[in-house]
Amino acid sequence: MKSKLKRIINNMNLARVRFSIQLISFALFVYGGYFAIYLGSKLPIFACPYNGKSAGACFLIPLQHQLSMPAQILLGGAGIAVIFGILTFLFWFIFLNKAWCGYVCPFGTFQDWLTYLRKSIGIRYSTYTQHQFEKLSKIKYILLAIVVLVPLLIGVGALGGEWGAAFCQICPARIISPTFSGDFSQWTIDFSTKTSMVLTAIGMVFAGLFLIGSFVKKRFFCFFCPMSALHYIFSKFSFVQLRKDGSKCTRCGDCYAVCDMQIKDIADDVVSTEILRDDCILCLKCVAACPEDDALHFDIFKLKAFSSTKEGFEKRMGIAKPKGDAHDKHTRA
Amino acid sequence: MVDFIKRDKNDIFGKPILGFLFKNQKFLMALRVVVSVTFFYALYFGFAHPDKENIFTGALFWGVFWALFMVATLPTFGRIFCGVCPHGFLGKYITRFGLKKTMPNWMQNRYIGVLLLVIGWWGVYYTFSGFWNSPLMTAVMFSVLTIVAFALYYIYKDMSYCKYVCPIGTLTRAYDKLSFTKLETYTDRCKECRTFECATACSYDLKPFTFAHKNQNDDCTLCMDCSSACEAVKFKFTKPSEQLFSKFKTLNAEIWTYILILASIPVSMTFAHGLNRSSIADTMIWNKTAVYLGLSEYAGGFAFLYALIFTIFFSLLGLYLASKVLKKDYSTTFATLGYGYAPLFILGSLGHTLESFFTHEYQEIVAGFAQALGFAVDVEPLAHRGDAWLNYFGLLKWIGVIWAFILIYKRLKLIEATKVRKFFGYIFGSLLVFFFIGINIYTGYVFKTYGAKQGGHGNHGAKTMGKSAYEPSKGFSKYGQRVQVENVVIKDNEPLYFSLTNPNDKGKSSFSMGMFSHGDKKRVPTKKVWLVYGDEFNDSKLAPQTNVESFYYDTKQNLQETKVDNARGVNTYSFEIPNNGYYNIFAKNETLGDDTLFYKVAKLEYLHASHGSEESYTESIKNRVQTDKSDIDLIRIKDKSENGFFYRHFSGDELHFQALLHGEPLSNADIVVHMSSGWSKHLKTDEKGMAKFQIIRDYFPPWQEFDKRHKEEFLLTLTYTADTAGKFQGKEYKNIKYILTYPASYYPNSSDYASYAYALLLAFVTLLVSGIIVYRFRKNRTRPFNEVRYEE
Repeated sequence: MKSKLKRIINNMNLARVRFSIQLISFALFVYGGYFAIYLGSKLPIFACPYNGKSAGACFLIPLQHQLSMPAQILLGGAGIAVIFGILTFLFWFIFLNKAWCGYVCPFGTFQDWLTYLRKSIGIRYSTYTQHQFEKLSKIKYILLAIVVLVPLLIGVGALGGEWGAAFCQICPARIISPTFSGDFSQWTIDFSTKTSMVLTAIGMVFAGLFLIGSFVKKRFFCFFCPMSALHYIFSKFSFVQLRKDGSKCTRCGDCYAVCDMQIKDIADDVVSTEILRDDCILCLKCVAACPEDDALHFDIFKLKAFSSTKEGFEKRMGIAKPKGDAHDKHTRA
Repeated sequence: MVDFIKRDKNDIFGKPILGFLFKNQKFLMALRVVVSVTFFYALYFGFAHPDKENIFTGALFWGVFWALFMVATLPTFGRIFCGVCPHGFLGKYITRFGLKKTMPNWMQNRYIGVLLLVIGWWGVYYTFSGFWNSPLMTAVMFSVLTIVAFALYYIYKDMSYCKYVCPIGTLTRAYDKLSFTKLETYTDRCKECRTFECATACSYDLKPFTFAHKNQNDDCTLCMDCSSACEAVKFKFTKPSEQLFSKFKTLNAEIWTYILILASIPVSMTFAHGLNRSSIADTMIWNKTAVYLGLSEYAGGFAFLYALIFTIFFSLLGLYLASKVLKKDYSTTFATLGYGYAPLFILGSLGHTLESFFTHEYQEIVAGFAQALGFAVDVEPLAHRGDAWLNYFGLLKWIGVIWAFILIYKRLKLIEATKVRKFFGYIFGSLLVFFFIGINIYTGYVFKTYGAKQGGHGNHGAKTMGKSAYEPSKGFSKYGQRVQVENVVIKDNEPLYFSLTNPNDKGKSSFSMGMFSHGDKKRVPTKKVWLVYGDEFNDSKLAPQTNVESFYYDTKQNLQETKVDNARGVNTYSFEIPNNGYYNIFAKNETLGDDTLFYKVAKLEYLHASHGSEESYTESIKNRVQTDKSDIDLIRIKDKSENGFFYRHFSGDELHFQALLHGEPLSNADIVVHMSSGWSKHLKTDEKGMAKFQIIRDYFPPWQEFDKRHKEEFLLTLTYTADTAGKFQGKEYKNIKYILTYPASYYPNSSDYASYAYALLLAFVTLLVSGIIVYRFRKNRTRPFNEVRYEE
């Protein structure tokens, strides 16, 4: 029974399953407000509350808001609220690890759909060179530093209130997410102060770059996402992990070829067991694309919930199996 | 010997600036000479000017050397102070020409240095307060140390003074383990080596080529002599306190240093300087003991003694219990887990040192050096006590606590035991950390509950008090004199209305009042409002205590009592706002003029919104409040666009109102809208009692001054005269004049400052430009290589 269930899971059509989950969560986090669903404001995804119909809010909003409290107040007890905020964030996070990005995040889903659109038009996609990859990969940490440091500087009075939620002002999700529920009010430049003018103008440029970028490059924004950087800090504490058995890896490179994030380690690194990297969105495409039994596996605690298998690979690839094959017999038994 | 080496990425010697600072021998020599000259000049200065006028000696020894430089470098770059220390610097030359005897065994004891520091310095410091306090004593002490040091360098070999007698020798060795640097060698290159220049260069008789393997640096003072002898020596970045994560040859003296320094600095300071300044200082055990023994003038010494006893007791008890549950012998447990206590002192001290550097030490250091060079300067401190950012230094102590917890966890991994045993071993092993947390929390609690002693030392007391230095009465007392119960009589037809700000506090920002009310979570938040009168918004006056009946409806439309507070002659109406939603507060006043009953109602619809609450905004929240306590009512009809707790009115919005009398629509009533800017408009209700108006745009500042959170107020006054005769307090009247007020506020419309056109233009240009770039780039890469042809 158990092995049967395992076989069904390992043979599943991941692309279809993932598409359905993404569709449901997109509907939930973009339109959930219509059904009075609200999951709090500590979610580890870009469910942007600037979209009034969102069924929850991105954790970066309350984080920036709380950290911008005056320093005396923040350190005099209100800091507890920050710690509880992080704990609530962690509570959500540990269940799915970075699969929040690959399966739930509406902004990530939107990028995947742009990719489908590009594919259907027949335009090929772009990739970074390894050199570009390494340089650009650091940007998300800079953005995370903006998320944390700018509010702290407001708290000590070094920056004015117009810097509040500075990251949100330059975040393309703030501009694009509300559009899905028919709210175009974020497609503006705020001229009320010079700071907001510059920040919102940068936001508009980023929105433009986002649209072009995610059209030609898969998961363009996720590469720069500060939430992704924040995830990676805590990813060790999660119940679910992506693991690799290097001894079974033949370094065929299939996993790297399907990886939306161009993570080279997934194919190259045959030493590490914990193969989750900071750019990973845990979409599990690599597991589905791996032709070796158990070389890559998605674990819940230590249980292999979804592993790469030869059979699953063949099934997903549509490789016809000759009748009477030894392998076939083996799997039937 | 290795002449050339390709340096690792984490090798400090390979970095451009740091490499120069740590490796360049000429620079290091110059630095050592400068430090030594300053050192001896300060000693001379101390003898020459033994009185308090001399600020240089103190500034150098107690401002720069100890505290700032030591504490800032030990947990970061490590023992680099030893590398420039004048004793060690000159000692190397002395020892070279000395007798080179072996130190007798009884002197080869690291506790000599530790106890000299703990008892000789700190014990005296607490017991005889002020003993070390003069420049003369400082100079005498360092001179004695210098003489002893030079004598011992002359007699004994291998810099034994530094290792065993120097009061801070073992201390620096112990805390160096926390640093994120480590001196070692490229061991694979060392395999080829047969000459061992690094060891010959070392004045301390150490073998740097073994440091990597041993995972520790023994008594290395980071003088970098070895690095000039051989290129295979590296000074590398590691993770902070990485040495402590794995095994090495432990030294009990180091652990005792952690414990004793923790006892003699932070714990004793908390006792002798912190708690002793609280108003319940007399009940503290050390003061009681001192009084009991009749030695109350030495109470500080008893505080120190008790600090030692408590700290040693908790550390040893914890480690003993841990050894029992772990089923290991005590000495192993002590040597393994004891290293986890290292960060407790040094990080807390770092926070304190940095804070005092910015508040006053900097000033003293600059003034001191100016004095030494013979001129006077006027320096401002870099920060003032109470500056917001200084608070962040207080976090360092807690980082130290967390670091200690992590270290104990990592050290526990080196012990083999079952998981359950390890769990309890961890709890017991952390007992000292809990004790340290405990006294910190207890001190905060004591000051919060009992307050500081009156007339204590102003200087240090302010440190603990600084955090609670909010004096709410201060703001009011200034206005207190001005506020009097004015004997003004409000005219019968003059309306009363609610104000969210106290008109007597005009000019004070009322905006931030509700923003950060993260106080006591259990207490129900309340909102205060004031009842005012007067036509002019900017000149509204507090209504005198009149015969007002006030009540309010909460978010669930239940009738509640308003709390009226009459402090300093100001009537404050307050109501509880536990939930997000609309609160309707009313104040009713009936007065009888000649033949007319004036029925005045002030109404305020207050929308409360707080970020903390997770309530959702539903349509039912918009339900109108039916009041039977007021005959007349004016209800704002909420349309669909009103969809959140943070809803605000903006200029341009159209507001709809319905007037009700006895619950029935009231037609033909007059409504006057007054803007705070002076604009006003007259409306009349239709047969359904409805009236509407559009909020005007009334805010035209220059761009630089534009504030999108600019709030403008307006007031609706509903008046209606009914020919109803009746009796009021025994007197007859012929008609009733109803006067109802409804204040509200609005903000600039986003169209005043937000531009779609520029935004879309910018986004479009970005799209276009980046699209073209991407296209061109791809085109270039796909275009086949064009052969260059020459036309012949």
